[in-house]
Amino acid sequence: MRLLPALVAKRRFVVSILTSFVAAQAVAEDVAFVTNQNGHTLSIVNLADNSEQQSIAVPGAPAGVAVDPMGDYVVTVSADSKTIRKFDPVTGALQQSIQLDGGPIGVAVHPDGDRLYVSDWFNSRLWVLGAAGLNLQAEWPTGTAPAGVAVSADGRFVASADKEANQASIFDAHTGEALHRIGVGARPFGITFGPMGRIFTANVGSNSVSVIDPEAGALVATIPVGERPYAIAFANGRGFVTNQYADTVSVFDVDDLKVIATISVGEYPEGIDATTDETRVVVANWFSNTLSVIDTHKLTVVSEIAVGDGPRAFGTFIRNVGD
Amino acid sequence: MKINRRSLILIAACLPIAAHAHGPTRQKITLTAEVAAPPSEVWGVVGDFQDMSWHPAVYSSTGAGGNEIDATRLLVLGEEGGPTIDEILYKYDAEKMSYSYRITEVSVDVLPVTNYSSHITVTATEGGGSLVEWRGAFYRGYPNNDPPPELNDEAAIAAVTAVYQAGLDALVARFGS
Repeated sequence: MRLLPALVAKRRFVVSILTSFVAAQAVAEDVAFVTNQNGHTLSIVNLADNSEQQSIAVPGAPAGVAVDPMGDYVVTVSADSKTIRKFDPVTGALQQSIQLDGGPIGVAVHPDGDRLYVSDWFNSRLWVLGAAGLNLQAEWPTGTAPAGVAVSADGRFVASADKEANQASIFDAHTGEALHRIGVGARPFGITFGPMGRIFTANVGSNSVSVIDPEAGALVATIPVGERPYAIAFANGRGFVTNQYADTVSVFDVDDLKVIATISVGEYPEGIDATTDETRVVVANWFSNTLSVIDTHKLTVVSEIAVGDGPRAFGTFIRNVGD
Repeated sequence: MKINRRSLILIAACLPIAAHAHGPTRQKITLTAEVAAPPSEVWGVVGDFQDMSWHPAVYSSTGAGGNEIDATRLLVLGEEGGPTIDEILYKYDAEKMSYSYRITEVSVDVLPVTNYSSHITVTATEGGGSLVEWRGAFYRGYPNNDPPPELNDEAAIAAVTAVYQAGLDALVARFGS
């Protein structure tokens, strides 16, 4: 296991070289894994030809999803049946599952690929699971109703959006030490690490995005966005925020943190993630049962893809199958 | 400031369950009805956010702000002094004959839902009539795990479906099918 970080670093390097030379082909290899909460399925969507390749039964109302950065598995979280499942990202075969108590909702994978962090909506905690056996390793206390969970790109920090506590909790990813609890806007739901290692929360109750420096444990800025912001993704020097009630995506510049565009998408946009080459962001429209694909340069919707019933895609749901 | 974990837990335990807390799975329904009258005529009846008298369950409908964004209305159900629902308009497009509104206040005894939003749209049918589409998105009435049967997902879906069906049936009766 000691070799893992070195392997990850090597793989990343190779991928970045490849994407810089053949960006168009890199996007051609991207696949989206979309949890359809009302349809109880996982849509596997080819982002090269914008079509659903496969639909896999996932009982129990799946919402949370995360792709393993190492490419070995995709994790889903079924909120109603409290079940965590691991799938083979290429074949779609179920690898493993475990049932938890409480209210699992969000999930994130450590960059090493060996640990999962699952939020417990009802019991103010994160579960830390070993990825290999889905075995429970630790429980970390959060604020009330943690929803989104994310891990920093360097693997040092884990953060949760504690919705009813109006705060973000930041943990040391390795020791589990609670480093900071930071007040954000009202009812944060989605949480994402962005450029400069900053944390961004989408605050559904105050129509804003909070920007946090995890090192200092300080709130840096607040960005007003559209009605009922839900989740955030980053690409091409811009942040993209889904606004559930406005049926739009707010786009802000990551340097000056100002909104530069608002893009109409489908109804009830929720999960959002960027392609590996950052030329596209993909939005799951919960009411429309579609994905909207946004060109991150032109800031327009370039395609719509039909998926299952009630797509949430709450988490990181795009990975590159070519690496 | 150092965080005292015990005091945090005590504070959390004393907090009431907030009205915006909700269960894990949002539900959605879409009901439609075709009526014989043209869209402009149907929109003339359902398109005014301040007048929901077309729905048989509504005794009175009073509000402020007309059909502007953030307009509000208070629905009294059944009879004078009956149960109430507070709603707010958040989208309105007369050209597309469509609007969206949310419930800001309702008892789960009246409608067993939370975080409810709704959309009504009127479109033309090929035969010169109208299609009325009524959509709702909501969580069940019980925000925590293991809901009692009257506040579970099925109860929420059944209740909203009944409201929409009654409204659409009234439109069919009024405009013909």
